[in-house]
Amino acid sequence: MNRELFVHNSIVIRNSKVYKNGQLIFEAETDLSISKFLKKIYKQQELKYPKFFKMDNLSKLGYLGVELLTHGDIQDKETALVFANSSSSLETDTAYAETMNEFPSPSLFVYTLPNIMLGEISIRHQLRSENVFFISEDFDPGLFVDYSKALFQQKKVVNVLCGWVDLHNNEYDVFLWQIALSGGKKFNEEELKKLYLPTHE
Amino acid sequence: MKGIAVTGMGIISAIGRDIEETHLSLKYGKNGISFPEILPTKHKDLPVGEIKLSNSELSELLNLPEDHSYTRAALLGIYAIKELLENSAYDQFPEDTGFISGTSIGGIDMTEKHFYDYKNNPEKRKYIQAQHPGYTTEKIAEYFGLNGMITTISTACSSSANAIMMGAQMIESGKLMRVIVGGSDCLTKFTLNGFNSLKILSTKNSRPFDNARDGLNLGEAAGYLMLEAEDCINGKTVLGRVSGYGNANDAFHQTASSENGEGAFQAISKALKKANLSTTDIDFINAHGTGTKNNDLSESVALKRIFGDKVPYFSSTKGFTGHTLGAAGAVEAIFSLLAIQKGEMFPNLNFSTEMLETGLGPVTGFQKKNINTMLSNSFGFGGNCTSLIFQRNE
Repeated sequence: MNRELFVHNSIVIRNSKVYKNGQLIFEAETDLSISKFLKKIYKQQELKYPKFFKMDNLSKLGYLGVELLTHGDIQDKETALVFANSSSSLETDTAYAETMNEFPSPSLFVYTLPNIMLGEISIRHQLRSENVFFISEDFDPGLFVDYSKALFQQKKVVNVLCGWVDLHNNEYDVFLWQIALSGGKKFNEEELKKLYLPTHE
Repeated sequence: MKGIAVTGMGIISAIGRDIEETHLSLKYGKNGISFPEILPTKHKDLPVGEIKLSNSELSELLNLPEDHSYTRAALLGIYAIKELLENSAYDQFPEDTGFISGTSIGGIDMTEKHFYDYKNNPEKRKYIQAQHPGYTTEKIAEYFGLNGMITTISTACSSSANAIMMGAQMIESGKLMRVIVGGSDCLTKFTLNGFNSLKILSTKNSRPFDNARDGLNLGEAAGYLMLEAEDCINGKTVLGRVSGYGNANDAFHQTASSENGEGAFQAISKALKKANLSTTDIDFINAHGTGTKNNDLSESVALKRIFGDKVPYFSSTKGFTGHTLGAAGAVEAIFSLLAIQKGEMFPNLNFSTEMLETGLGPVTGFQKKNINTMLSNSFGFGGNCTSLIFQRNE
């Protein structure tokens, strides 16, 4: 069975800007530190989730991206999460490794895995659905297409939330989108590339 | 059809450098837990499941040139896949063979070793890129000339179980005909200190499911399986079949499991449903059973919720190998297939008293038993829970 799949909404967070479905919805000063930038989005969106302040920056990016993408409401609790990035949890790995010289920090160590972000999203939305986290050198639309299609083909899901959430040397690159059986743009490599890098048209 | 065929496997861990040695250790209750000798740590009092081969010894065994840039996880991975290749029907893997590898550590070992050399020693800079978890996967693929879909999964301690699940899905959906799946993780100071900071390492040999359990031992290993579509089998020996798999998030805490074992419960339920089996079909369970207070209780509660008062025989093999993190799912998939092939239940080492909360007791001695269907659990930080079901080939 090869049913056609569709991209519902998308979010891009890049260079101090947030885009939803290609439209700029938030912009901050470019010289803001990432922590301040993320806090600004949190405040601007009037989010109320104190756990946010305990998260590492990678999890904050994933959490905020999903809030913006879904208006904080994921109705289908079986929605699978298919995520990837290039730099894994390197930012927090480095911060934790520095504490190893003195006293290794447990609160940093718990974030030294990229899929902790999926745990945070699952906790926030009470999802007990299928999760996977890939590491690839660059954004790889083919991998998302192959994996998500296999999930639909097996009738495991009717909704998938995909994410590329990368953070390295304070540079972040976030692209999130939802896939379903109807509506929106067609879900294929070409469309994903366009949504990911609209400026390169 | 009753699942995806497993047509080859290879392994290296603290209890053996090949399938045969591994099997004998499991059979005779010989654990691989020792104090660290190769890992340069000051925590010499923390027992680990260490493979007693240095990187240069491994390189020599693999005939690698001296200036190579393989991480320890790559060396272990190649070692295990060489065995898989030797036991397979191929002289060389066909080029379109896929490769899906799980890891939680990637090349952190090389960063630990060489970070302070990078500035003044250009020769060591080749290891900078080795930190990337995908680098280890690419180096293994390059060694064997693999050119199909190549990808790395990083979901903590369920990484290689998820690699097996993904491989099965890719074959079922017709995307791949043949794929090597599994994982590799080595010991590092990063993880030893990190788990120690969480106060979940035991200073003794770990005692999964025991009432007095006080933590886990870390280990290192690589384990890989070959999965093939029906059209590729052509009379090859099928070692067993992956007939069920399920993944769910526990949605409870970054590193701790929920009291009611919801994630584990969901993962096992999904795997049973996928395999179209009922709870009474499970003959033996390879439990995640790390030996921590939290995991073993949460997993026991989940088992009771699924199986009621008829919990099947179960055992955790972490007392043999230590917890090999991203490699554990594949290592224990191999143990599960061995249990089916040989008709043997491997003991849960160091157990003496059932935990008060559940009263569940694992298999504590080697036993012969006809096993058709195995359940294997792998649960990771981030709430990532995976259950796999293996069945005898019929």
